[in-house]
Amino acid sequence: MRIGLVLPEAPQYSETFFNLKIKGLKESGFDVVLFTGKKNKKKSDLEIRSAYLVKKRNIFSQVLMYVYVILKAFLLSPKRSLKLFRLESEDGKSFNESLKSVYINAHIISEEIDILHFGFATMALRRENTAKSMDALMSVSFRGYDINIYPLKNPGCYKKVWENTDKVHTISEYLRSKAIRNGLSENTPFKKITPAIDPDKLPQTEIRKDISSPRILTVGRLNWIKNYETAISAMKMLADEGVNFEYTIVGVGPEIERLKFAVYQYDLGDKIIFAGKKSHEEVKELMNSADIYLQPSFEEGFCVSVLEAQAAGLMCIVSDAEGLKENVIDGETGWVVPKRDFRTFKKKITEVTEMSYENRKKISDNARLRVINEFKAEDQKKYFKEFFETMTKKA
Amino acid sequence: MKIAVYSGNIPSTTFIENLINNLSSTGIKILLFGKKFREVKYNENVEILDTPDSGPALLFFIIKESFKSIFRNPALYSKALRKIFSGDRGFKNNLKELGMILPIINNEPDIFHIQWGKTLHKNPYLFELMSCRFALSLRGAHINYSPINDKALAESYKKYFPLIDGFHAVSEAISKEAQKYGADSKKIKVIYSGVSDEFQNRIPAHKSDSSEILKIISIGRYHWKKGYHYALDAMKIMIKNGIKFKYTIIAQGDVPEEILFMLDDTELKSRVELKSGMPHDLLMKELSGSDILILPSVEEGIANVVLESMALGIPVISTDCGGMNEAITDGADGFIVKLREPEMLAEKITELGKMKGELKEEIILSALNKVKKKFSNENLKKGFQDFYVSILNT
Repeated sequence: MRIGLVLPEAPQYSETFFNLKIKGLKESGFDVVLFTGKKNKKKSDLEIRSAYLVKKRNIFSQVLMYVYVILKAFLLSPKRSLKLFRLESEDGKSFNESLKSVYINAHIISEEIDILHFGFATMALRRENTAKSMDALMSVSFRGYDINIYPLKNPGCYKKVWENTDKVHTISEYLRSKAIRNGLSENTPFKKITPAIDPDKLPQTEIRKDISSPRILTVGRLNWIKNYETAISAMKMLADEGVNFEYTIVGVGPEIERLKFAVYQYDLGDKIIFAGKKSHEEVKELMNSADIYLQPSFEEGFCVSVLEAQAAGLMCIVSDAEGLKENVIDGETGWVVPKRDFRTFKKKITEVTEMSYENRKKISDNARLRVINEFKAEDQKKYFKEFFETMTKKA
Repeated sequence: MKIAVYSGNIPSTTFIENLINNLSSTGIKILLFGKKFREVKYNENVEILDTPDSGPALLFFIIKESFKSIFRNPALYSKALRKIFSGDRGFKNNLKELGMILPIINNEPDIFHIQWGKTLHKNPYLFELMSCRFALSLRGAHINYSPINDKALAESYKKYFPLIDGFHAVSEAISKEAQKYGADSKKIKVIYSGVSDEFQNRIPAHKSDSSEILKIISIGRYHWKKGYHYALDAMKIMIKNGIKFKYTIIAQGDVPEEILFMLDDTELKSRVELKSGMPHDLLMKELSGSDILILPSVEEGIANVVLESMALGIPVISTDCGGMNEAITDGADGFIVKLREPEMLAEKITELGKMKGELKEEIILSALNKVKKKFSNENLKKGFQDFYVSILNT
């Protein structure tokens, strides 16, 4: 069976989820071809087809390219090109728009595949009819951004995607329920497959006897949805009580100015460190020298970082963002507190620093054990195999 | 006295336009330059110099100004050319700077008043070439938070601030911030923003206490520093507490994802209305029809809308950011709550909503008097006249 996987670009080394997924699929005996938006510059042992460019700068070369690609598509895959054009027209698209769809999808429809799988729901936009035109099955993976954010500014954007999707992969119950709120049919077959990690690559952190001067960590992009301001306000309360802590935030992103200003305003410059971008290895080291991991997010699809922090056996305090509630078991593998409530975050941090070594050790062991047992890469591989093997055309 | 005002764009922000109108009405000659985007009417004391910043228009402009310059002051002209083209910032940037400097050379102002700190490093030769005095306005983001994250900007402030002859600070708070980058406190003068005269004689609108639904309003563009996310947190708390209210945000620009995300909540959505930016007179009408103005910001110079609200008789609750406590004395002519504290904001709104008529009127009246005394256009005019004179006398 040959699967076409649509992604914005070939996964980088750091994108564990897709790398594991592709590796797993190949090991399960599937043939995988990758369709990407951007051209892949690095050498890769994957089969990659990248989309024909849409250049706005040079109109002349764009027109030539357009004519070439369209002609090629209609000559080499006449049936599919025509079908795609017809399906698009039937959806009410203009002649030009329908033709443009053929251009956008030309690199896909020329391939022989059984299943077209979109790695993100947003990747399926403008490609709603592609699988149909090639008589392939269509499946979609949900990610946090796809479902939580993108439709806010583009209401109803997935209507056609939902209509044509044969099967859905979700990383949390919550994301599926939210997609249903956004128009996905309850009857669309789905499977929840959470992200998995390799616990061998993340050894359990040795728990310190005394964490009254805690080392706190968060890893993630600096954008609003991660809601670092709540964590920073909680830190301010800790500082006011004279607690000698260190809070490290790993990541880069658009909110750096906003967050640095909050730290400046609270005069916490010597206690809160913006560590910037860090490699896998460096994050591992930071995890292994931290006591508490915080995830104050507004919302999360699932959050791999929290999974990693649990694998490392850190004391995880997370917000009750829907995806996180499925990730951490409150009171067993960490703690879940109301989102945006910095007072409760602070209270929980204080409680944790005052816990006995034995009790913290218990939480740490629970968390690691659960990750090892329930978020195995091996299982993920098995689940994806099932996911694709049991796929059938939607009635 | 001839003052060159440079803000980049003509017309500029409301605040700068207000400044230009007020200054020119006192007889000060204003030479306004920057890129002109549309026609603006000023009085006869304002001379506009439309300086293109790119393309053939810039070249043409430079040729024209060069002729004038060679004729008036050839030595300075050649010095300018040598200086500007000795740098390694690229030909385009050199031309841009030349286009900016030539009209100043040709018009010989007494004071060159730069409106934005961020533009200082773009014209490194200005200070060497010009013999006039330099004034700089210290405003909001440019001083308060941009240099915290942008180390190069902070360095440029430390380098150029000593070359400035006088600083205009929009608040005491910002004056203190600027001193951290080397602005000499003796050279800083705090001149408060003025509220337009049309408000001065208006009798504060009397609100009836019968209306059950509290009408809360915020005005100001979408930006994280405006703290609308904290305001929405406060509104959620008020819903939980069973307070009946309607909250309106009037803001220019696209609604940020963050706000859309927070409003993806049926209950909150039904209480909050987002309106897009509107002309000033309509804005004031919206404000007049409200019970409370809240300013949930984390950073401000002194928010003009707060002064306007005080003049219109609409009680204000502001966070304790920037110079806001210079405008509001907590409990006397408005209310100040701690930064980033939605719970306290919700509490204060609730308290003000329940406040009895007499007490509220007292606050409203004090606010009006404060604006008349401290934030009048008369003060602003006098402040700037003194400011410029003191610069010329140094």
